[in-house]
Amino acid sequence: MVKLKQKDLILYSGLIILGLAAPYLFSAFKVQLTYLCVLIVLAMTWNLQGGEMGYNTFGNILFYGLGMYLTASVQVGMFFPLAEWTESGGEKTFVHTTAQYFQGIGVGLLVSAIVPAIVAGAIGYAILGLRGHYFAICTLGLGIAAGEIAGGIEIIGAGQGFTTPPFPAEIVDTEARGKFFYFLSFALLVGTFIFVKYIYSSRFRLILNAIRDNEDKAEAMGIQTMKYKIVGWMCSAFFCGLAGGIMGGLIGYIDSTDVAFDGREMGVFMVLMAILGGKGTLWGPVIGATLFHFFKEGLWTLILGWQYVALGVLIVVIVVYFPEGLMGWLREKYPERFGEVIDEKDRKAQVELK
Amino acid sequence: MNKLVKLFITSISAITLALVSFTSSFAKVEGDYIVLGSAISLTGKYSSNGVHTQNGYNMAVERINKMGGVEVQGKKYKFEIIYYDDESNPKRAAQLAERLIKQDGVHYMLGPYSSGLTKAIAPVTEKYKIPMVEANGASRSLFTKGYKYLFAVLSPANQYLEVAIDLAVEKNGGKGVKIAQAFEQDAFSQDVRLGILDAAKRTGSEIIIDDKLPKELNDMAATLAKVKATKPDVLVVSGHTKGALTAIRQISEMKVDVPMLAMTHCDAAKLSKQHGKKSEFALCASQWHKNLSYKDKFFGSGKKYAKDFQKEFGYDPPYQSAESSAALLVFKDAFERANSFDRDAVRDALVDTEMQTFYGNIKFGPGGQNVAKPMILFQVRCKGDDCENRVVAPTKWASDKFYHPIPKWSDRS
Repeated sequence: MVKLKQKDLILYSGLIILGLAAPYLFSAFKVQLTYLCVLIVLAMTWNLQGGEMGYNTFGNILFYGLGMYLTASVQVGMFFPLAEWTESGGEKTFVHTTAQYFQGIGVGLLVSAIVPAIVAGAIGYAILGLRGHYFAICTLGLGIAAGEIAGGIEIIGAGQGFTTPPFPAEIVDTEARGKFFYFLSFALLVGTFIFVKYIYSSRFRLILNAIRDNEDKAEAMGIQTMKYKIVGWMCSAFFCGLAGGIMGGLIGYIDSTDVAFDGREMGVFMVLMAILGGKGTLWGPVIGATLFHFFKEGLWTLILGWQYVALGVLIVVIVVYFPEGLMGWLREKYPERFGEVIDEKDRKAQVELK
Repeated sequence: MNKLVKLFITSISAITLALVSFTSSFAKVEGDYIVLGSAISLTGKYSSNGVHTQNGYNMAVERINKMGGVEVQGKKYKFEIIYYDDESNPKRAAQLAERLIKQDGVHYMLGPYSSGLTKAIAPVTEKYKIPMVEANGASRSLFTKGYKYLFAVLSPANQYLEVAIDLAVEKNGGKGVKIAQAFEQDAFSQDVRLGILDAAKRTGSEIIIDDKLPKELNDMAATLAKVKATKPDVLVVSGHTKGALTAIRQISEMKVDVPMLAMTHCDAAKLSKQHGKKSEFALCASQWHKNLSYKDKFFGSGKKYAKDFQKEFGYDPPYQSAESSAALLVFKDAFERANSFDRDAVRDALVDTEMQTFYGNIKFGPGGQNVAKPMILFQVRCKGDDCENRVVAPTKWASDKFYHPIPKWSDRS
């Protein structure tokens, strides 16, 4: 495993303590904090493809939506007939007991991690041969198609949506639900971070980078690129599925195109956040997602009705002024703090050559 | 790296401080104001109806405040509404409801626009025991969940077009008809579809086309081509404002002849203005029409409401605005009867609501839906180029006879 330096240890333990204390410190903001955790997870997993592997995917929303439907379906299906639950827009009402609710969501989350990973493997086998724009467009289609298909499947509520099981009424504390979902998403965030950090110190990351920098050369070096591409995508799908499962329970209502396969919002946001922070870095997506979330929550309500215009401006600003993201920009400005040694003489010599 | 870490820690502590200082929330009743909260679709696919809803709310707030406000325990209060934009997205709506309640300290909510968003918000208001009077969530499944704090001033969605099928059967001499239907894949429209399915079963009618249309719908040519080929007796289309506009545009472009066209959201889409004669004979379900004879002391009659609304916002009020205005009247009435700001007292007062507004009678059933008001049907009729919505059913308020069948396009000028 990764060996932590002392200052890193202080940083990480500080962040974990902050994370654990957050729902008590900012009790009113629990839902937003949960969103933040999920957004960071989505940005970090997108970064594995978009940043490290150089495959700009818009398809990760597929796994997110899949996870959402799977968790809810398993949670309901374990105890009640799913078809009756969703029939006629969910007219019949079944009530989960406290134990049923937690058992259901536990098994549901497990399924929502494994199945999307398998799906990613299967789809990846079929389409990861595509490169560049072709891959991007193909994955864009995946998300949209999934939304339309889900909107036609009766057993998961079709166009009427799927009301996920309400939090058990036996728990009287109104804060309990918020805390439960916050800690769930925080645990997911910590898990994802540890996993991604581990990848960053492994040969696997170097292979992904090799694929990004020159896939043909990597292939020529004897790396089975296809295998690594698929495994990389499966890892992302695993965490995206979990994120979706948690969000489904938190939102309480799943709509095929607006909540689950929400490529227009979540699908774009995850790309945007990773690029804002700096793709291809460990902290970039974390910082990007945090800044984006604060921007969104803080400003959007002030500019009622104009928020998407502001978002458009933000995208332009990022692309024009921070094409490498905040981390990339910092790295350019203070390379020595990123552990890069610059030979001043060599740099000057190069400047003079020009 | 050391400095970066410091910078990072500093920024986190700054954010922490900012958040902590911001957490001090507002009160539900501030000074002379009763603060209501609402997430409304100001952008996205429901934006036009979201604005109708907001205009309806604002109009009622202004009127009630001007006419003395709400009297609770001998003191006069005014209404004030905090709005957020839910972007027509259920996820955002649920999050904003939480925000309104937890951060802005709102204790009474007004509904959003559309059934889907109401479905997303209702669990939140229910959890925090916040009374919500909603005017635009008609899905039947909202009223079977046992929600205790949800009150809807409108009739459930499945009732929208059932009457239209009955009318078609009646015109067909009591025999079942052939129905072609196309519905947007969204909670409301799919509920309207359920109503049609029930009506078809009851009348022995046959459904020969049953299409689902995508959200953001702007093309239904495939369905219309099938309609042309199979010649049904009734064509039913529902897909909010865009659905109504798309249907009329493409039916007239493709010259689809069908004896009866039944739709929803004709008035919200301003069909008679936007498409003029092309929309003539379309039969529309509506929660309200200005010609109905209901009255109250704030807005007078429906006609008076329509005139005032026209003056204020520059267009004829669709029923979405009228029902939204009615929601405020219900809240005012409940506050005064409860004579308290206790949420449960207000909730209990809402349960006992029995009143007449310009929009219709309001009395809530056990599920929270309004059981005192029937749906109406109107038909677009034109004199020259001037088109109007005329009430044709139920007979009590009908100003015109139902025109059937629709003349063929080749016979229409």
